[in-house]
Amino acid sequence: MTLREVSKSFGGLLAVNNANLSVKKGELRALIGPNGAGKTTLLNLITGIYPVSQGQIHFKSREITRLSPDRISHQGISRTMQITSLFSGLTVFENIWVAVQSRKKFFNPFIRAIKWQEVRAKTNQMLELTGLQDKAELICSELAYGEQRILEMGIALSTDPDLLLLDEPTAGLNTQESIALVKKMRAMLSGQTIILVEHDMGVVMELADRISVLHYGEILAEGSPEEIRNNEEVKKVYLGY
Amino acid sequence: MISNLAVAVLNGVIWGMIMALIALGLNMIFGLLHIINMAHGVLYMLGAVAAWYFIDLTGNFWIALILAPVVVGVIGMAIERGLLRTIEDQPITTIICTFGIMLAVQHLVFMTFGGTPRRINIPIEGRFQLFELQYPLMRVVIAAISIGVMIALWFLLNKTKYGLWMRAVVQDREMAVAIGIPVNRVYMWTFVLGSALAAFSGVLAAPIVYVDFMMGREILIMAFIIVIVGGMGNLEGSVLAAIIISLIQGVGSLFVPPAMATVFSLAFMIIVLLFRPQGLFGE
Amino acid sequence: MSSHPQKSTGFILGFSLVFMVLIAVPFFMDLFYQTFLTEVLVWVLFAVSFDLIFGYTGLLSFGQALFFGLGAYSIAIPVSKFGLGLGPAFLLAIIIPMLFAWLVGYFSVKLSGIHFVIITLIFALIGSTIGETWTSLTGGADGLTIPFTPLQIGPLKIDFTNIKTNYYLVLVVASLCFLLLKRMVQSPLGKVFIAIRENEDRARLIGYNVQRYKLLAFVIAGGLSGVAGGLYGITLKYASANSLHWGVSGHAVVYTIVGGMGTLFGPVLGTGIIMSLEHYLLNYMQGTDLVIGMVLVFMVLVAPKGLVGLLQRKGK
Repeated sequence: MTLREVSKSFGGLLAVNNANLSVKKGELRALIGPNGAGKTTLLNLITGIYPVSQGQIHFKSREITRLSPDRISHQGISRTMQITSLFSGLTVFENIWVAVQSRKKFFNPFIRAIKWQEVRAKTNQMLELTGLQDKAELICSELAYGEQRILEMGIALSTDPDLLLLDEPTAGLNTQESIALVKKMRAMLSGQTIILVEHDMGVVMELADRISVLHYGEILAEGSPEEIRNNEEVKKVYLGY
Repeated sequence: MISNLAVAVLNGVIWGMIMALIALGLNMIFGLLHIINMAHGVLYMLGAVAAWYFIDLTGNFWIALILAPVVVGVIGMAIERGLLRTIEDQPITTIICTFGIMLAVQHLVFMTFGGTPRRINIPIEGRFQLFELQYPLMRVVIAAISIGVMIALWFLLNKTKYGLWMRAVVQDREMAVAIGIPVNRVYMWTFVLGSALAAFSGVLAAPIVYVDFMMGREILIMAFIIVIVGGMGNLEGSVLAAIIISLIQGVGSLFVPPAMATVFSLAFMIIVLLFRPQGLFGE
Repeated sequence: MSSHPQKSTGFILGFSLVFMVLIAVPFFMDLFYQTFLTEVLVWVLFAVSFDLIFGYTGLLSFGQALFFGLGAYSIAIPVSKFGLGLGPAFLLAIIIPMLFAWLVGYFSVKLSGIHFVIITLIFALIGSTIGETWTSLTGGADGLTIPFTPLQIGPLKIDFTNIKTNYYLVLVVASLCFLLLKRMVQSPLGKVFIAIRENEDRARLIGYNVQRYKLLAFVIAGGLSGVAGGLYGITLKYASANSLHWGVSGHAVVYTIVGGMGTLFGPVLGTGIIMSLEHYLLNYMQGTDLVIGMVLVFMVLVAPKGLVGLLQRKGK
């Protein structure tokens, strides 16, 4: 995944300014920065929710800058949201089902969905991966918040992504829950490339291969966790870090 | 020819003023409470009907002009407080609920007021010379009253405490709650105000179009169109859009059969909706 | 949907029972009630098609009357003006509304929420304005009568001026459409619609072309509304521009909400109950909107999931 001189302005506000970012396959890149630095905007640009004002985005040597979100999903990019975004009235099983089903080309209106063996098998498989199989029949709004975050990841993984964008997965969780989530995440992931937006530095330091720091929409610094930890500019920006 | 044009223009502008009042009410209710008020048309109709009753009782148009909006405002208060309060955060549900209110009220009026359209007379006689034709003074007075109401509204929104509260709630509801603005009361008074404006509009329209239990039905759609074209939440936009649309329809009808004019203006709305859903004047 | 395939014996049993009863109706009910039931079935079909786009896909359209009216006119105009047979005319009643639904839907699904409601309303308004004024074609509000013409299937001649025959036609068509829809909403395609209803943005992010599927739902619903309209024309033997008015769409809204949206059975129940209620009320009042309006408001506030929702709650 490569972002080349990507900029995004909303009217007069320059949310992302000339961002250049390159993530290698299999890498876990953390994206950190103060609130309002443009991290979520960057994710929105990659997934096609906002159109880019300037610049290009490439993925697997293909340009995806102007693609719609659904086409980008089919390129192999998946994402979780900062504020949990599930199919609220549906059960856990149905949530995963819908995601698994999305990879198919044709939706037969004449058969009962549950008879679709392929999708059913994969759905059960993903359910087990998330560990939520006992809660499969529950309406997902009845799940605890932490479980909803896990389900969100399950949905994102059910589309077999090569690149996974995680937007503050530990948002709203306390330290204990965050550790549990990270453990669960580790168990669920299997070598996908990941861009992780996070505030929790502990999580970042533990998981990241490389870190990019975003500040006022610009990439302030980039490097290994060690390099970032010792970077003067970064320390200045993060007061009290 | 030019007389016909002048009359059409004047009619269009004046009708536009009346529609502007309805649209303003609808826009305020939508902008603040995020309610799509399908009952807005019947509030307009109730204004005209109430005015008819007051005139029947007192023989005085001006009393009716004041009292009818008050009565309808109270009805609006009852609707907002009694029925809409619990569902205000669900847009689709409120559409359906207000649709039900529309059905019920329209029929209720039919049963009590009857099905025949009735006349209201405004006590202003006289015509003035407009090119080769005579133009009724009454309509100009109606327009003047509309403008007066709009000015009063402007004052309310920009120069009073209540107006400030309303603007604050539109901007940022949570903030408004946090700094102690009684948001629920603001909601209620906004709905009351919107209802009263619709009623005012009905009273002013009555001398021109007759009072009839169905009068709100087509007006409702027009009001929605004006609000969308002008920009939801954009009050000045509503006034401009109301005048422009009425003008187009009025002048258009001179050259083209009215049904076609309607169809063309509707098609125009669709184009606006597709290419500028925030309205011609919206952000 | 649960993770294990459930036997649909409950549904098959229930449906067969109702179907049997309905088949038997002409044998123990007089002609008036047969006609009434025929009309109810037509509106059931209309309501059920509305449930597809509203209850299952989340699109509130006040414009379905356009396709209903087009369905009626697709039979009335070819038959009365061009002498077309009833069979081909009925096909037109499916195709023409679907074409228009494609046209209207193509533009409408680009918008969401309130804008979608308004644009469908505007399309319906355009349709009813044209219908009411192009009287040479449509007969305006007075409408066009559909002259007596039997349905020719090979050597078989079916005459629809016979109330009983008419009833059976409507029963068969409506039942077929209902069963098709039931299968569709349980199918993989149905899951896509439901996902769009629940969270349109998420559906898009996981790779569904939301606009395309909204359009598909809209076209299917439009086609079914057209079938309902065609059946209406055949039953009443006439079509009028009044059928194009958005108030007619309002009927579908009431029936579906009262019965229970998103359940297919809800609209059936809702249509039956409300129409029976209206029939009863008309003995005492001129018009029924007052009561219907109040019922709608009541349901929306107290039982948003409709009668079906209430029954489900009681069941728990």
